[in-house]
Amino acid sequence: MKSMPKLIRRFIGILMLSSILIIILNFVVLAIIASNQAPNGSPWITATEAAESLQKCNNTYVFNNEMNTKLNKQNVWAIFIDNSTHQVVWHTDNLPDSIPTKYSISDIASLTRGYIDGYPTFTGESESGIMVLGYPKDSYWKHMWPSWDYQVIAHLPQTVLAILACNVTLIFFIYMIANAKLLKSVNPIANGIQNLSTERPVYIKEKGVLSELATSINRTSDILQTQSRQLQKRETARANWIAGVSHDIRTPLSMIMGYAGQLENDSHLTYEERKKATVILKQSEKMRNLINDLNLASKLEYNMQPVNIKKENAVAIVRQVVVDFINTDIDSKYPIEWTTDENLSSCIINVDRDLLKRAVYNLIQNCINHNKSGCAIYVCVRVENEKCVICVEDNGVGASDAQIQKLNNTPHYMVCDGNTTEQMHGLGLLIVKQIVASHHGETVIEHSSYDGFSVKIILPM
Amino acid sequence: MDFEYLKQKRILLVDDEQDLLEMVISILKEDRFQNIKTAKCVKDALIIAEDFRPELGILDVMLPDGNGFSLMEQLKSKSDYPILFLTARGEDEDKFKGFGLGADDYIVKPFLPKELIYRITAILRRSYKDENPLVKLQNSEIDFDRAEVVKNGEYIALTAKEYDLLSVLYRNAGRIVTIDALCEAAWGENPFGYENSLMAHIRRIREKIEANPSQPVSLITVKGLGYKLIVEGK
Repeated sequence: MKSMPKLIRRFIGILMLSSILIIILNFVVLAIIASNQAPNGSPWITATEAAESLQKCNNTYVFNNEMNTKLNKQNVWAIFIDNSTHQVVWHTDNLPDSIPTKYSISDIASLTRGYIDGYPTFTGESESGIMVLGYPKDSYWKHMWPSWDYQVIAHLPQTVLAILACNVTLIFFIYMIANAKLLKSVNPIANGIQNLSTERPVYIKEKGVLSELATSINRTSDILQTQSRQLQKRETARANWIAGVSHDIRTPLSMIMGYAGQLENDSHLTYEERKKATVILKQSEKMRNLINDLNLASKLEYNMQPVNIKKENAVAIVRQVVVDFINTDIDSKYPIEWTTDENLSSCIINVDRDLLKRAVYNLIQNCINHNKSGCAIYVCVRVENEKCVICVEDNGVGASDAQIQKLNNTPHYMVCDGNTTEQMHGLGLLIVKQIVASHHGETVIEHSSYDGFSVKIILPM
Repeated sequence: MDFEYLKQKRILLVDDEQDLLEMVISILKEDRFQNIKTAKCVKDALIIAEDFRPELGILDVMLPDGNGFSLMEQLKSKSDYPILFLTARGEDEDKFKGFGLGADDYIVKPFLPKELIYRITAILRRSYKDENPLVKLQNSEIDFDRAEVVKNGEYIALTAKEYDLLSVLYRNAGRIVTIDALCEAAWGENPFGYENSLMAHIRRIREKIEANPSQPVSLITVKGLGYKLIVEGK
């Protein structure tokens, strides 16, 4: 199952990407919240402003009204400590009683950093002293020890990245562990679905998270197997039926051929009578060939013909067929010319010897069948582009372009599921095509360079 | 060539169909075969074979009380003679090949009379050739028994390869034998690249049997395909 790792990679990719996006999103949200805090004003700035708002005129302090209102609103008190005396020289009206009026230097250091009596305090400087703002208790949390090891700050980017990486790895492992079980149960199902398409029987254990899926895949496999068995059964029955019929015809036909053959040569009969016997004999031979062809074609079509593929010499096989024809063609009405290059003594291909013989036989017989007045037949074996080409041609009547087109492309009535009202070509060529197809070869029908018909069988070497 | 001695051979014909038996007998008789006996089943065939001592069996594969293959085994266990099968099943061809049952030939029905006669004659000639030692050619005679050629009263010995080649050619006298079939006869299965050796052997055979080896009349070349032996009287 090749697509599973791909699927897993994709899942993890999406997971990683979304984790990173979530982290970025978090940073953004944090930044927005922090920036929203900024206009609220750091109390330190307010303290500096307050310090600037206090003016000393003729030994009295005048506080800006606007600032006063602002501080009142937030319920903030303020005191001003003089630089030289360390005394509170000015304070707002709302100053709680618990606040001291005199401060030592250490008090000032402490209040700058922290609190006065629980009130978070913030300082702002002016020329003559220091303004201290006291915010309501529990309104601010002050960081009392604001110092960091320098190295920690210097390595902050690396530290953050390392923590992020740790997080991502952690998420990855959590995901893997959580999904391992699911993946484990998906795998056999994915394999099962793939095997279904190869028509092999499939059985998946029906347990785990996806047991329902497994059940339906098993059921689908059963249905497919049953269907293919039924189809096979029907095809076998059909081929057997044809084989049976052809078997039963053979013995009666033997009798017809036997006696007709004798009558043909009976010197007691007149010439006319003997000619009639010859016709009977010729037609019986046609019937015999038809039976043989029908039987073989149906077996090839339904894959019932055993194909015994061996390394054979194509030149020798074709030569034998040619010689068989020459040996039986008594009146030499159909001279066969062997046009194979003399230097090509062997062409080794993987082939079923008898089937190839039959194919070449059919091609030569075709030339004879379609040229009643005789023709020359040219047979050739050659090697072209690492392929074995067997070519049977004649100089006879040939065929039109349309006919050749049809022979190359139209299915035979025996294997055609459309209507068969149109008369199509005989079984001879169908068998050739079937045999060639069973050897993963190619059949090419075309015009011959000798003005007749040409069929090429192209077989892989 | 004189094959008359073959016509005297005792032939046992077994088929369950009376019409077919009669027809085969008439074909054989027309070709002057004399000694023919018939049986319609395995049982009868075995009884007849006891007395008749056939020299050729022509058997149908499917018989009412058994099949021709087992009948052949039983017949051959008594006495070894050639068996020819007549079968109505094309697929039997595969069976013969697959099981190597020891049949000498088979003919798938329906058959032409001359085809039957040709096959019978070929089997008989192959099986009983020693009774007809001299093969007459136009300019010489071949004595297969002694592996010699007699030309102009002179005896010329044949080598083993020449003998093998001539035997195949003689069995197919008057017919072309392919280069490949000749190489196979002389050098065994899958003979590749022996074409030149074959030509050399053919040349030497011609020197022995032909009056003028460069213009052969008995051993003819069929260009690109093979050779043909012309036997006198054939």
